[in-house]
Amino acid sequence: MIEISNITVRFGGIKPIDQLTATLTAPVAGLIGPNGAGKTTLLNVLSGFVKPMEGSILLAGVPLLSLSPLRRVEAGLRRSFQTEQVVEDLTVHDNLSAIADHVVPAGERARAVEAALSHVRLTDVADLLGGRLNLFQRRLVELGKCLVGQPKLILLDEPAAGLTDEEGAILRDLVLGIPAVTGAQVLVIDHDVELIRAMCSETMVLDYGKLLALGPTAEVLANDNVRRAYLGEL
Amino acid sequence: MNANPAPLTFSETAMAAPAKRPSPAGKLFAIAAVMAVFSAAVAIGANAFWLSAATSAVALSLSVIGLAVLYGQLGLVSLCQFALVGVGGWVTLRIGHAYHPPFEVSMLAGGIVAALVGLVFGIPALRLRGLYLALVTLMLAGAFQTIISAWGFPDGGPGFLGRADGAGRAMLARPALAEGPVPYFLYVSFFATIGFIIVQWHKYAKPGRAWALIRKGETVAIASGVNVLTYKAWAFALSGFFAGIAGALLAGNVGQLDGRAFSAFESLNLFALTIVGGSFHWYGALIAGLLLRAVPALLTDLGIDGYVTIGIFGVALFHALATAPAGIAGQIAGLVARLKPQARGGNRA
Repeated sequence: MIEISNITVRFGGIKPIDQLTATLTAPVAGLIGPNGAGKTTLLNVLSGFVKPMEGSILLAGVPLLSLSPLRRVEAGLRRSFQTEQVVEDLTVHDNLSAIADHVVPAGERARAVEAALSHVRLTDVADLLGGRLNLFQRRLVELGKCLVGQPKLILLDEPAAGLTDEEGAILRDLVLGIPAVTGAQVLVIDHDVELIRAMCSETMVLDYGKLLALGPTAEVLANDNVRRAYLGEL
Repeated sequence: MNANPAPLTFSETAMAAPAKRPSPAGKLFAIAAVMAVFSAAVAIGANAFWLSAATSAVALSLSVIGLAVLYGQLGLVSLCQFALVGVGGWVTLRIGHAYHPPFEVSMLAGGIVAALVGLVFGIPALRLRGLYLALVTLMLAGAFQTIISAWGFPDGGPGFLGRADGAGRAMLARPALAEGPVPYFLYVSFFATIGFIIVQWHKYAKPGRAWALIRKGETVAIASGVNVLTYKAWAFALSGFFAGIAGALLAGNVGQLDGRAFSAFESLNLFALTIVGGSFHWYGALIAGLLLRAVPALLTDLGIDGYVTIGIFGVALFHALATAPAGIAGQIAGLVARLKPQARGGNRA
């Protein structure tokens, strides 16, 4: 469970997040909003790259904001990036080992990496260099990295960007399987409303840094304010 | 891929034994084998002139492998490496003259002090990259040059800070087990091989993976749990250590060093040849070392002014930057890969 209370972020004269309070409980939750709504900023606040002016965040009851970004990774926070960040001259296996090195005890790293590779179905290409992967495989490597160790909260920033519908569907199934196999909560940012609808039982909508709606996905997407601000309807 | 769409649970997959992966031991052994063949060929075939040039070349290749860690692994441009060679050589000479320990002790001291200085020189890299880091490190190399020329490079007189006073310089004795030119060449080759293996091992292990993430982006590295400060500092210390050992081995080669040999220009030259030789493969360092010392030796042998090498290196650097970013070593690796097309991916040099 993520409990966000009264978070405000200020960059000079603008407030990308303005007094945001929200509690996310679903195993796979969604975060949507128009460009500039503060989605990625919120992700950066959660992972520690942006310091809010005020407010607090509890992850499973533990205060998050006092921890450095590194401590948060050790505490089980994982994130992927909007543009995939696979290292080209490391193998798929080593791309996952690179995070296992720092979050898994020495004797258990090989198994942790194999388990994550297997979950994202990359075992067959484990020895291929990152530079030789297609976009879908790269997205799967990013997802696999998030599974290494004992993740508590996985933040996925547009994990399906650039994928075909079929690839997106496979990715969706893999993401849906994460809470059951790892116990981690997943927060997905995506522009693809259909993907969010299919993946997330709970969705939060931001608009100009403020909470526009939060609740069961079907209800949120049917909300008039959401349709006006985000879907461009009405 | 994705032949089997049924999701696997972690508990199921955790039961399966981890797949067998080729151990890097074979590749590390290959370094020892190549170096053994190279050293044997030089030791048997070279005359005194070429043996001395080859000894300097191999010693310098150790400083190149250090620079290759910074550039090839972290993407950092450091233009003060030859100053660190000077620091290592100077400390080795002074410890040797002041306390007369075995050569290895002086050499280790040279390596450690150069590693510490390298760490200090690396502080700007915690905030700077690219051109700005290059400029700052070049200024550090210039500062080192100014200090040693203003103060005099204290290398031949008595005591720890002694300077040669015109009565002749004291010479540092070579290590007891390698006093002759051929044994000393093999001695230098041995330590260079150890250095190459240590750096190569880093690439296959935790530090190499952390460096690769830092090169990709510091935010990505932090999000993967990498302590960027620690791994950058380790790279600078390691790089400085090998520069220091290179300086020690150069000092041992002729028993003394000349302060004028450690100008900022030499650091620039060393960096240029690191790129020409190839900073992504260990043998790129050996190639760079040979270019630095063997090419001038060859020109001298042919009766051509040694300064012509500057022009040759400039053309070589232009060629490398324009057509072969992985350097001569990268071209060799590409050729080898083409000759055995059945070998598939996963081959990280």
